[in-house]
Amino acid sequence: MVELDHSFQNGKPTDYNWDAIRDLDRLIPCVQGGRVVERTSPTEAKAEIKVKMGAMSMTFAGTVELVEQDDAAHHATLKVKSREVGGQGHANADVAFALSDGGGTIHTAAQITGKAASMGEGVVVSVLDGLIKDFTRRLESI
Amino acid sequence: MAIPPGHYTLGPGEATLTVRTGKAGAASKAGHNLRIEVTSWRATLDVAEDPSATAMALTADARSLRVREGTGGMQALGDDDMKSIEQTIDDEVLEGSSIAFRSRRVEPGADGTLNVEGDLDLAGTTRPVAFALTGGDDGRLSGSARLKQTDWGIKPYSALFGTLKVVDEVDVEIDGTLPR
Repeated sequence: MVELDHSFQNGKPTDYNWDAIRDLDRLIPCVQGGRVVERTSPTEAKAEIKVKMGAMSMTFAGTVELVEQDDAAHHATLKVKSREVGGQGHANADVAFALSDGGGTIHTAAQITGKAASMGEGVVVSVLDGLIKDFTRRLESI
Repeated sequence: MAIPPGHYTLGPGEATLTVRTGKAGAASKAGHNLRIEVTSWRATLDVAEDPSATAMALTADARSLRVREGTGGMQALGDDDMKSIEQTIDDEVLEGSSIAFRSRRVEPGADGTLNVEGDLDLAGTTRPVAFALTGGDDGRLSGSARLKQTDWGIKPYSALFGTLKVVDEVDVEIDGTLPR
C-alpha cells in the first residue's frame, strides 16, 4: 500500500470545488490519460487511464465510485478499482478529498500489482506522485 | 592507418550513421536504450596531402531517423513502438530541423587519426563539435562524437511525469568503408 498526500489551491469557493470533485465527468479527465467510458450512476463511472511510458503504454480499466461524502465537512472519498488491460495487474486506490476555502487536500492510498509494481515501490511512488501532482495542477483550472 | 588523400563522398551506401541514446530516472527500467540509424545523409571528406588542409561536411535529414534496436526495457520493443518513437523524434525532439556539420580545423593525430573540429547546426542552433576520425585497414572509416542535447536547446524527451528520461548526452557514430 502506497500513501501520498497532496494539496491544491485554485482560489475558487468551496461550494464550487465541492460540486466539481463530485462530478466524475469533470474530475476523471483531470487525470492525465484518464477518460470516462460510461457513466453508470450519479456516483459511479466506468473509466480507463492510459499511462504512457515512452513508446509503450499501459491501460487500466475499471470503476470510479464516490463512496463517501460529507456535505457539511466537504469531505469525499472516491474508490478506484481497475485492472490492467491485457495484463494481470491491478491499480486500486482510495482518494480522499478534504476541501477548504480556495482548494483542499488529497490523501491517496493506492495498491498497485503486476507489471507496474514489478518496477519497485520507489518507482511506483515516484510515478504516482507525478500523476497526482499533475492532477492537482489540472484541478487549479477545473 | 592514415586515410589516403582524395575526395570522398559518403552516404548510407558506404557507411552507417548511428545515434545511441540512454535512459535515466526513477522509472528508467520501463524505458529502452536505443540504437537509431540516420537513413538519409551525405558527407564529403576532402583529405589533403597536408592533413591540416583536410575538410569534412555532412548533412542529414532529421526525419530519416529509424529505430533499429531497443535494449534494457521490461518488454521488447515492437514495430509499432519503434514507429511511435520515430514519430516522437519528428514531432517533439528534432521537429524536422536541418542538420549540417562543417569542419573548421582538422589536425593529424596518432596512427593516422584525424582530429576534426567544426560546427554543427541542429534544431536551429549552431555549436562546436570535436571528434576523431579513424581510418583502418581496407578503407574502413570510423568516428564518434558525444552530443549534449541541451547544448542545442533540445529538451531531452521525458515520460511518466518526468520519472523516465532520455539521457541528455547521446552518442553519434559513423562507421563504414571509404569509397574507392
